[in-house]
Amino acid sequence: MSNYTNSRHNCHQVHQDQNHSSSIRDELEQRAWIQNPQLARRMARSHQCKFARGVGTHRHMRWQDRTLLTLGAVLMMLFVIRTETAIADTQNWGLQLSSESGVYTELAIDTVIQMDITGLVSRVQVTQNFTNNGSHWAEGVYHFPLPPGVAVDRLLIKVGERLLEGEIQEKETARRIYQKARDSGQTATIVEQQRRNQFETRLANIGPGESIAITISYLQNVSYSNFSYHLRLPMTFTPSWEPPAQLNSEPDKPHLIAESSTSGHTLKLHANLISTMEFAAIESHYHDVDIRQVDDGYQIELLNPNEVTDRDFELSWTPMLKSHPSTSLTTFNDGDFVYAQLMLAPPLADSIRPQAREVILIIDTSGSMEGASLVQAKAALSHALMSLGEDDFFNLLQFNSDTEQLFDQSVPVTRTSLYRAQNFITRLKANGGTDMAPALTAALGMAEIPQLMRQVVFITDGAVSNETKLLQLVARDLGNSRMFTVAIGHAPNSWFMRKTAEIGRGSYIHIGKPDEVEVQMSALWGRIQLPALTDICVEWGDSAEYYPEIIPDLYAGEPLWLLARLPSEPTMIGLCGTLNGMDWNLNINGWDKVRLGTGREAGPGHAATGGPGGDNLAKLWARKKIESLEDGLMFGADPELTRLEITGTALDYGLLTRHTSLVAVDKTPRRDSDELLAQSNVPSLLPAGSSTHIAGYPSTATGWVSQLLLSLFVLLLSTSMLVFSGSRLPKFPGSDSNVTNASQIPRNIQHI
Amino acid sequence: MQSSTHLSLTPVVTPDVRHWLLAAVILTAAILLFDAIWIPVKADLAQHLLERSWLRTLAGEPDAKPWPWADTRAVAILEIPRLGQRMIVLEGSSGRNLAFGPTLVNPTLLEETTDRILSGHRDTHFSFLRDLHTGDVLRLRTSKGIRDYRVGWMEAVDSREQQLIIDDSIDRLTLLTCYPFDATTTGGPMRWIVTALPEPTM
Repeated sequence: MSNYTNSRHNCHQVHQDQNHSSSIRDELEQRAWIQNPQLARRMARSHQCKFARGVGTHRHMRWQDRTLLTLGAVLMMLFVIRTETAIADTQNWGLQLSSESGVYTELAIDTVIQMDITGLVSRVQVTQNFTNNGSHWAEGVYHFPLPPGVAVDRLLIKVGERLLEGEIQEKETARRIYQKARDSGQTATIVEQQRRNQFETRLANIGPGESIAITISYLQNVSYSNFSYHLRLPMTFTPSWEPPAQLNSEPDKPHLIAESSTSGHTLKLHANLISTMEFAAIESHYHDVDIRQVDDGYQIELLNPNEVTDRDFELSWTPMLKSHPSTSLTTFNDGDFVYAQLMLAPPLADSIRPQAREVILIIDTSGSMEGASLVQAKAALSHALMSLGEDDFFNLLQFNSDTEQLFDQSVPVTRTSLYRAQNFITRLKANGGTDMAPALTAALGMAEIPQLMRQVVFITDGAVSNETKLLQLVARDLGNSRMFTVAIGHAPNSWFMRKTAEIGRGSYIHIGKPDEVEVQMSALWGRIQLPALTDICVEWGDSAEYYPEIIPDLYAGEPLWLLARLPSEPTMIGLCGTLNGMDWNLNINGWDKVRLGTGREAGPGHAATGGPGGDNLAKLWARKKIESLEDGLMFGADPELTRLEITGTALDYGLLTRHTSLVAVDKTPRRDSDELLAQSNVPSLLPAGSSTHIAGYPSTATGWVSQLLLSLFVLLLSTSMLVFSGSRLPKFPGSDSNVTNASQIPRNIQHI
Repeated sequence: MQSSTHLSLTPVVTPDVRHWLLAAVILTAAILLFDAIWIPVKADLAQHLLERSWLRTLAGEPDAKPWPWADTRAVAILEIPRLGQRMIVLEGSSGRNLAFGPTLVNPTLLEETTDRILSGHRDTHFSFLRDLHTGDVLRLRTSKGIRDYRVGWMEAVDSREQQLIIDDSIDRLTLLTCYPFDATTTGGPMRWIVTALPEPTM
């Protein structure tokens, strides 16, 4: 506090004590106040201060006010403060070598990235070359950042003459190999850090000057938003530019030797975008690229091979839509089977007639939704109400242990009905159990409004234990309705939510944070407002295995992907559906397609018979098959039979699942023993199938200790203050008891 | 801050008012004190109620609720023999459940060998995490049997930069709590992660 405040403080307290004897002055002051407030204020101040100087000290009063102030502030602090108190380690990507001369990070000499994009998946292969620039034998750990949700399924490491290759093995076999390696002390840290979005593998015995080439390969899903496909590749692993000044400042560090080679680092990136579709735009957001059109699609290449990049590579492409639904067919013949991928693109949004809908919103208000989840859900509901069209009908349901519905039957969108709905939302409270079935039955069993498509939007965290029964209920009662699920919270039961949407021929979104509500709900709404093609059927031909088995509707701006395994090359594929309320049919000629090759054994300049990326189709199909096998478990399939079938499929197609894993095996043709020597069990981040998902971190601190200490401190201090002032100012109610208290306080404290 | 400063400077702060203010401060502090004490008391009390519902779960009751209005159930018991700790694990890691016990983040327990993540408050149930060492045994009892895990490694991660990946193809147990343990405030971004792998002898 400044001097000025101090003196004022002092003055007005004195003024209080003189209150009774100076009523005339007060009256004068009051009058002056009405006539000239500024003057009055100055007058009052000078009066008080004169008194203050004259009278002298009542120090204990000021002390009390100050303490009171401090205590108030401390209490307020209890509510307000929030600080972040620790910092995570930063990660160095690349090859970290440790030898007698210490630990240092070796940077890549060159990096080659090859991407083959087939529809919704991209095969990404990264090759990096290193040299051990130290003068000792070293052990290395290779770190590589992975985009969220991918798993490395191919691995090739060359260290000098040695060759290590990754293989997909049955889990038990893999575990045996791994344990044998571990027992011989080879792989102490192999499965470390699987929680992180990174790939890590360990290499032993790297000689001085020896070169190391590491190739890893993974399948990455292509994301779709705002009418375009997007693919993002982390680039943080490439050597980044550092100012030379920093180099000179620490001349002793071994990594400087490697640093000098940064200038010579080359980055090559080649992407094949395989499709018969025409694209309205292909864009690389942060890097200069060269785009060429070829027979089976487009080729994208990084223009500047010496580019040192600190930004992720992001590629996006937008399909060219027509005034009618269009298709693109790609096939791959592996000798035994033909794998086909059919893309069905919706017509332009302008050529779709918006249809009036009946929207039923269901919200979960069980106890598990309490807090942030309910806030997010309420925001999502309000957003949904606002996006309703004039001709739409709607209804609102909430459920916990009981189900409550706002209207008996869906009602038209009017000002009154919206007002009632908004009130309903405002007074929602989370409490009780999660009894989902009655709510679903009520929503799906409501009397239908003729001519309207029913869309059920279901907002919940999916914390249920009877998933199978609920899914069966949806399958049974769905009728002509469509089911859209909105998952809320940091770790919702995403499997259940996704399956509900699949069975309900709708779609699924997850809102993890409050600030995502707006974006995600707009996306969902934009999607479901314009159904372009409904009740779709596909005729693949005899003995075809196809996914998805339940075909969802086609919405404006969002293509649909269908996968099938056929016994032979297709000659004709028949499509049917309902477009703008009328029947729609289309026959696709089997010759009008892109045929893919494996592109793997061919390497650069592969055979002209087929482009690369063919095995993507096979793997994609196998992933769908495994997913559907795993779903079967929930509906009573035999676990042992399913396990065998999944393992068989996974081994056939080289997929990571819950029953298989990737093991790196030394394939160097030397040593007298035929036995394979395992080097490491490579951490698989996310295998195929529905077994994996990403969750947020829950908040896991109550802070009760600090609250306890602080409130205890305040309580003690304020009580002792009360005791003091109580003894001196008997005016306070209940001061009698305080006097006795005061007498018990030791003398030295009383005289502060 | 603002309002208190203002109050103490205006002439209305008579001794009477000051005493009322003081009484208000005392009352607020007392409520907060009670509120703070209630947290560990509730955490402990809930465990006793849960213990009973766990026994009912073992007896075969399919959806045994610890108290009638509960939106969760006991799914496992976590034991740390070296530290003499034993606690009931709840399903679903909502803030409400975390007050009662450590919770299972991933909701389904389809198989015996799976990726289980337990989260708990660093200052109630999971305060023992700071005393864990690499190599400690964690024993998890579920309705499917007893499994032993051995702590493989522990690390602090930043929840703003890393996501929690649940991979059911890996058999492991992860304990998760806020970090640092003795932080005075809540809501920080750091998490302490203890990863334990199954004992090969099992």
